[in-house]
Amino acid sequence: MSDHSRDLSGAGRRNFLKGVTLTGAAALTPAVVAQTPPPKNPARVVPLPNLAVETLPPPADPSNQTSSGGDFMVDVLKTLDIDYLAMNCASSFRGLHEAVINYAKNVKPEILTCTHEEIAVAMGQGYAKIEGKPMAMICHGTVGLQHASMAMYNAWCDRVPVYVMIGNIIEADKRAPGVEWVHSAIDPAALVRDFVKWDDQPASLQHFAESAVRAYKVAMTPPMGPVLLSLDAELQENPIPDRERLRIPKFAKVTPPVGDPGALAEAAKMLAAAQNPVLICDRLARTPAGMARLVELAETLQCAVVDQGGRMNFPSRHPLNQTFRRAAVVGEADVILAIEMNDLYGAVNSFSDRIVRATRAIFKPDAKIITLGSRDLYLKSNYQDFGRYAEADLAIAGDGEASLPALTEQIKRLVNAGRKSAFEARGKKLAEAHLATRERAKSDATIGWDASPITTARMCAEIYSQIKDEDWSLVGNGINIAWPRRLWNMDKPYRWNGVSGGAGIGYNAPASAGAALANKRHGRLSVTIQGDGDLMFAPGTLWTAAHHHIPILYVLLNNRAYHQELMYMQAMAARHGRSVENSHIGITITDPNIDYATVAKGFGVYAEGPITDPKNLGPALKRAVAVVKRGEPALVDVVTDPR
Amino acid sequence: MNGFRRRLAVALLTLGASNAVWSQNVPAGDAVNGKRVYLVAGCYTCHGRAGQGGAMNYPAPALAQTQLPVEALKAFVRAGPNDMPAYVESQLSDKDVADIHAFLRSLPGRLPAKNIPLLNQ
Ligand code: HEC
Ligand SMILES: Cc1ncc(C[n+]2csc(CCOP(=O)(O)OP(=O)(O)O)c2C)c(N)n1
Ligand SMILES: [Mg+2]
Repeated sequence: MSDHSRDLSGAGRRNFLKGVTLTGAAALTPAVVAQTPPPKNPARVVPLPNLAVETLPPPADPSNQTSSGGDFMVDVLKTLDIDYLAMNCASSFRGLHEAVINYAKNVKPEILTCTHEEIAVAMGQGYAKIEGKPMAMICHGTVGLQHASMAMYNAWCDRVPVYVMIGNIIEADKRAPGVEWVHSAIDPAALVRDFVKWDDQPASLQHFAESAVRAYKVAMTPPMGPVLLSLDAELQENPIPDRERLRIPKFAKVTPPVGDPGALAEAAKMLAAAQNPVLICDRLARTPAGMARLVELAETLQCAVVDQGGRMNFPSRHPLNQTFRRAAVVGEADVILAIEMNDLYGAVNSFSDRIVRATRAIFKPDAKIITLGSRDLYLKSNYQDFGRYAEADLAIAGDGEASLPALTEQIKRLVNAGRKSAFEARGKKLAEAHLATRERAKSDATIGWDASPITTARMCAEIYSQIKDEDWSLVGNGINIAWPRRLWNMDKPYRWNGVSGGAGIGYNAPASAGAALANKRHGRLSVTIQGDGDLMFAPGTLWTAAHHHIPILYVLLNNRAYHQELMYMQAMAARHGRSVENSHIGITITDPNIDYATVAKGFGVYAEGPITDPKNLGPALKRAVAVVKRGEPALVDVVTDPR
Repeated sequence: MNGFRRRLAVALLTLGASNAVWSQNVPAGDAVNGKRVYLVAGCYTCHGRAGQGGAMNYPAPALAQTQLPVEALKAFVRAGPNDMPAYVESQLSDKDVADIHAFLRSLPGRLPAKNIPLLNQ
């Protein structure tokens, strides 16, 4: 390709047009011009086959090609079974983009048009947690990646495989003046390297094939995480010089590591002998099998389970579920098994956000702590998402879900009749406590039942009433209010899809849409509890949901504020002995109030609201659910009391 | 019982006081002013307008129909246990706290959950 082939707008374009005017369309290149005799009578040009032209060597500035690197990249992505490619379009990957739409016919991967790169990545995060595999996203290597980066950080903290690709123009002499220079970098991945598991910038198509498969493998190996491939534009766009020599390596998933049998036996002994063992977990259930495995372990031991909610680990109404009695059960525990915990320290210590920032252990000093998880296998330094160092008496490296069956088997072998009846008595007590907690939740929910603004408890009870007879899936819960887990029967692996990980606001709307896209295939009804503040980071998500017919119900928890921060601000003002009355400045989202239903309608989404009277909420949700069941997104704006 | 509540209970017991004694000693607050102050001082942002409770980094307890005596309420408001703001007297007077107490006592509070079908599904 010539120096100017990337950009026909400048000098290259002028030369090109000169060629056309001088010689006619049949002979564009200078080489051809030189060889073609001028027609004797310009008015009588007959387009005859030109033997001379067809037997010439290839021109120095060809106009067309019959193969492209992008096509080969598509071939590689197809072997990885990637269903979707989420993107905000950009010229640095026009080669791959064109190959997807015309060579792959927009099937596997199918393009998802996103109005922001953060949406594309977050959709992949929500999708992967439901579907168990990544989708791909692609963006400009510089500006696009800067937009994508926070969503990648969330996925990193949440241990979710997202497959990010970027376009870049590596060779300086191939970049057009201007924009292509500001959109190129020598090491674009540097921006996000602290929170991707692996990245590469392949220098050839063979290199791409190997790195693409490797990236997939790395992303999918626990602890999972984002990966990044930087794709040279020349590699995507130009002809394939040697297709027959290219080989796509086969992909074999890495078997997740199971904990050492000796260590698991030791853990089994401690748990079987304990008076009050407690299981506490966070990102445990990696696949639909995870929940059943934890249930089996808990029922074998008849012990308390505390589910920190990073995944759908344990049924909300299981009698052994003591999630809302965490301090009580951790306080009584003599052995604690922490499985795939991110912040174990935070879970077994209390913390006060005061002038002197103090922590206090809530577990007994002689309690034994066992950790089981893949977390110890992989850490990075800069970002502090690993939390405070938590001491353990026995630390087992291994994937939690993969290790549970062996652990449960070992425990079963140790339990004799005597222990069994002791376990049963323990289980009965826990079941009673569980029931009392549920009754308490119901009673708490009655306070302000008919109030306006609507209480969040009432809102959640109304949602549940509309979805409980469907095959529902709560794909997001913005600021993670507790009511769904307190009031709803969350009994299947897809009932809940976890949280952002990095607490990067702007996650909930797009990640919920991505999860809903995955649920669509399974015929599930997706619903998300959406913060107003979160929605305004990437409201264009609503358009993507409408455009791609993603069935999802957005219930807007509209407290007209970044309310979390309002609470912090009041505490700060009070600490300084000042009035809390100005705390709303910079924090509330009022004056003017946003009319979210109108916003949603503008994006092509069915919407109702603002709803202020609780009596109107049930009927509005019912109408919205009907829309979602027809396969489209819907939004109901509910004006709520703060939390 | 969290640390602050435990310490508070001990402190109140040493004073030899009981709920009944406080309720008698403290003049009844003004519930109408109490509601105003509850909103202006921002108690509602964490504890809810109906005193239903809420969530910050962990639960902010329900306050409707509080069983705490007014002195204990004051102790909470002044100390701001854990994440709760600690209100100084120049910003929130003892009288205002007493009025908040009266307001909280005047709220309807809990209903029988068994009468609400949506809470039994
Ligand atoms: C920024 C959030 C916030 C605000 C504003 C706030 N609180 Fe609290 N409050 C809390 C939290 C959190 C707790 C629980 C503290 C704990 O037990 O660790 C609490 C606890 C209390 C308790 C103890 C209740 C019990 O039964 O244990 C009382 C009483 C109370 N608050 C009253 C008030 C009043 C009155 C105001 C307004 C003047 C107020 N709070 C403002 C967050 C808040
Ligand atoms: C990217 C980013 N910006 C800012 C914050 C700080 N922050 C934490 S919670 C929150 C408010 C979110 O608002 P909304 O979704 O409406 O939930 P609410 O707190 O009102 O319930 C903000 C701004 C953050 N976590 N991430
Ligand atoms: Mg909000």
